[in-house]
Amino acid sequence: MCLGIPGKIHSIRDDAGLTMGVVDFGGVRRDVCLQYVADEVAVGDYVIVHVGFAITKVDEAEAHRTFEVLKEMSQLEELDWMAEVAEASLSLARTPDPGAVQGTGKPL
Amino acid sequence: MRYLSEYRDADIARSLIARIKARATQRWTLMEVCGGQTHTIVRQGLDELLESAVEMIHGPGCPVCVTPLEQIDKALAIAARPEVIFTSFGDMLRVPGSDCDLQQVRARGGAVRVVYSPLDALALAQQHPDQEVVFFAVGFETTAPANAMAVWRARDLGVKNFSVLVSHVTVPPAITAILEAPDNRVQGFLAAGHVCAVMGWEEYEPLAAKYRVPIIVTGFEPVDILEGIGMAVEQLETGRHEVMNQYVRSVRRQGTPPARALVEQVFELADRQWRGIGEIPMSGLRLRDEFAAYDAERKFGVSDLRVTEPAACRAGDVLTGRIKPPQCAAFGTRCTPERPLGAPMVSTEGACSAYYNLAKYRASDAAEAVS
Repeated sequence: MCLGIPGKIHSIRDDAGLTMGVVDFGGVRRDVCLQYVADEVAVGDYVIVHVGFAITKVDEAEAHRTFEVLKEMSQLEELDWMAEVAEASLSLARTPDPGAVQGTGKPL
Repeated sequence: MRYLSEYRDADIARSLIARIKARATQRWTLMEVCGGQTHTIVRQGLDELLESAVEMIHGPGCPVCVTPLEQIDKALAIAARPEVIFTSFGDMLRVPGSDCDLQQVRARGGAVRVVYSPLDALALAQQHPDQEVVFFAVGFETTAPANAMAVWRARDLGVKNFSVLVSHVTVPPAITAILEAPDNRVQGFLAAGHVCAVMGWEEYEPLAAKYRVPIIVTGFEPVDILEGIGMAVEQLETGRHEVMNQYVRSVRRQGTPPARALVEQVFELADRQWRGIGEIPMSGLRLRDEFAAYDAERKFGVSDLRVTEPAACRAGDVLTGRIKPPQCAAFGTRCTPERPLGAPMVSTEGACSAYYNLAKYRASDAAEAVS
């Protein structure tokens, strides 16, 4: 219900005292009321649109920054995991297999 | 699409899950109060992936689900009138009233139309001056600015055949009611990103301080939700209880002041019934007296309608986290999305519907794997 979709402002106009505009959602364009964000947006800005109303401006720099931080973190983590996995398999190779010692013949 | 698909990145999600699990020294209980978040959490299986670290309770975050039966019955009574074109968001059409739903009213010849925006309903009123156009104004704070604008604009333009049936609810009183319940288990909250996009987060600060719970303003994509959960777990592990903002790209401390201002001019706080929960003091909005001419309840004389909710539906227990949907005896048997007993099974954002669809999805996946 509180679904809000980010879209890019394509045009802005005055409609009998109400600031309206056309917003582009990945190729689909819709008429949107921009009254609540009129003071802070321009053509090309991203807004979150809910039931035909822009309810907030998307801070592009922040969106980009957060994503980059998270991405970097996950990539580092990925490296950590790979190191851990490599370490685990090494120690496995070093430790004698108890099954093998007892001669059960069970695979690891 | 920009600012959407990035936050569905699987590598980032995996890394966040690993971090949360590594950080949690005990299993924490968190609640999201947003149907969109519930949908993502259940659909993506985030609750299952985090099971050892966090229990997610799905709170009363779906406005369709908490709309009380009597408001639905009022809608049905108004929609059945011959002079009325009744307009609504699509997800309200199948919410069961005492003896039918809006879709059935339409099948019997009632003029019921789905609109995308309340401004579309207002435009319809201008196109049909000889009929009464009523809009079912449901929703949380996210939707209130749109509904407030439709009423304000109707007065501005002198449109007299337009009115709204208001069933607005607000989030902070619901959080308070949950925390005040004697059997409350919730230790931290994810606050709904788009509610806060409008309202900001100042009103959550006294709640976090009084009840000593972290409240994290959180977005809707899997990465947003996992980051929000991670921030809550970090606070719980370090004994803190603050309001923090995960959804920085869309939410500012003050929200969107012009939207708040118009909501304040058109609506005032009022006691509201929540389906399955009961009355929560000052938890809803109603039109101010100066907009009485646009109040469909007064226009069509349905203000005094009172009804009792059916006992078979345990929506209240689901919405307050006492049970998970599959624990309800009617789940998937007497209550399905095709024949719902209660609203949480109707809306795709309802917890019951989310669990039902996940089970169906998995069953078809398993059948495909076998064949």
